[in-house]
Formats: sequence, structure tokens, C-alpha cells
Amino acid sequence: MTEELKVAIDRKGSGAVLYTKGYINNVGGEEIANRAYELMDDGVRTLLLNLRETKIVNSIGISILIEIIEKMMDKGGRIAFCCLTPVIHKTFQIMGLANYATIYDSEEAAAKELAL
Amino acid sequence: MATTAERQMELTLPMVADIEIAAARALGNLARELGMSSESVDEMMHAVIEACINAREHSGCADNRIYLRFIGTSDGDDSRVDVWVTDRGRGFDPDEARSHRPAPGEAHKRGRGLQLIEAHMDEVEISTTRNGGTTIHMVKHEKRHHD
Repeated sequence: MTEELKVAIDRKGSGAVLYTKGYINNVGGEEIANRAYELMDDGVRTLLLNLRETKIVNSIGISILIEIIEKMMDKGGRIAFCCLTPVIHKTFQIMGLANYATIYDSEEAAAKELAL
Repeated sequence: MATTAERQMELTLPMVADIEIAAARALGNLARELGMSSESVDEMMHAVIEACINAREHSGCADNRIYLRFIGTSDGDDSRVDVWVTDRGRGFDPDEARSHRPAPGEAHKRGRGLQLIEAHMDEVEISTTRNGGTTIHMVKHEKRHHD
């Protein structure tokens, strides 16, 4: 039994929006990390993760998201999230993501703030 | 007089990748049948996912099975779901596990499963003995408000 995560990317100059669909577990987290690191290598320094179509995350997947945030911070960039379910939002706060990445209610609000 | 509804389910699942999703979906269906809110359902699903991952990653059990039992009751205004997640592994010391826990909100890569379970559920009780397995009993309550 596997739950494949689908990732789509909308490149916007030196920024990008990464859309996820499905379960963010260890495999899903690695998929996001691979795509995020490709974008960073290509010069992206502002990355918005839109989790509108993700309803379930686990602690291993979130630990990988923290690694992505740390890597982007090392490069002087920033990562933000938007469109989280209330429970994923709460989970991110417990796991500490909210201290290092801004969370927006909508993609529009995030894009305006991040100049994407 | 309010009608009381009760739902029960028992599952034995193999410890394979993503099997926690099967447990979460079954629990979610049971809770939705009782009329619980989507937020309560989501919280329970996330908690059972973490309990199953803990069993799979840390129990070291020989039978490679996770045993789950769900009981849900509703009398119209109040709903309650009890969840038991059991493995037949080596057990652990919950106090020691809690002592290594990072503070809430502090970014830390691993070791948050139990903390997430306790945050998402109303009651959590852990029964564990060395080489005697572990059972996590979790409870979610919901009271319906009338406007």
C-alpha cells in the first residue's frame, strides 16, 4: 500500500510556488525536498508551498520539511506555506515549523507578501 | 430521550509502508458515521497515524502486526471515540521518551510522534512492559453545541 504524493511547480522569476497533492510522509517529504533543492540550485530563494490538496501529514514528512527550511535559510532565502487544514496548521506549530516559516491562509495573501 | 449509537471495529494490519493510512481511513469513517466534526476526525486520523508509525518503527515486534480497536458512541449531543493501538514488541519507557522531548514549537526533526498524539487527542494512556508490547489508548470527546 503506497500513497504517492504529486508535486507541481509554478516558477515565478526568482521565486516559485510548489503545489502538493496527497500524503506527506517520508517518501512524499523526499519528493518535495528533491524538487525544492532543484529549485534552490536554479537560483530560487523564495519558495511557497501550497498544501491545499494535502489533508494528511506525518511527523517524518514534517521533519523533512524542516530540513528544506534549514537549507533555504542557509542560502539566505525563505520558505512559506499556505492553504493548510486547521489540523496540519496545529501540527506545524507543535513541530516548530511556524517559528521558521510564515504560514498564510491563502496563496493570494502569500504571493502579495512575498512578491511572487 | 436521546438515541445512542455505537460503532465498533477491530483491525489487524501488517507493518508495511503507509499502512497507517488504512487505519486512519477506517477510524475517520467510523467517526464520521457518529457525526463528529471534520476537525475532530482529522485530529484522530493524525493521532492514529503517529501511533502506527511508532509501532512500526520502534516496537521491534516479531509478528509484524499492529492491532487496532475502535469504539465510538454518540447520544446525539455527545460523541466519544476510544482508540487502542497495540503492538507485541519490546515496549518502551514513556517517561524517558518524554524527557527527550523538545519544547512545543521548537523545531526538531524527530521524536514528536507521542507529543502529536497527546496534542490531537483528549486523553492518552500508554500501557507498556519490557518485551510485553505496548498499547496506546486514546480518547476523543466532542460535544455538539446548539445555537
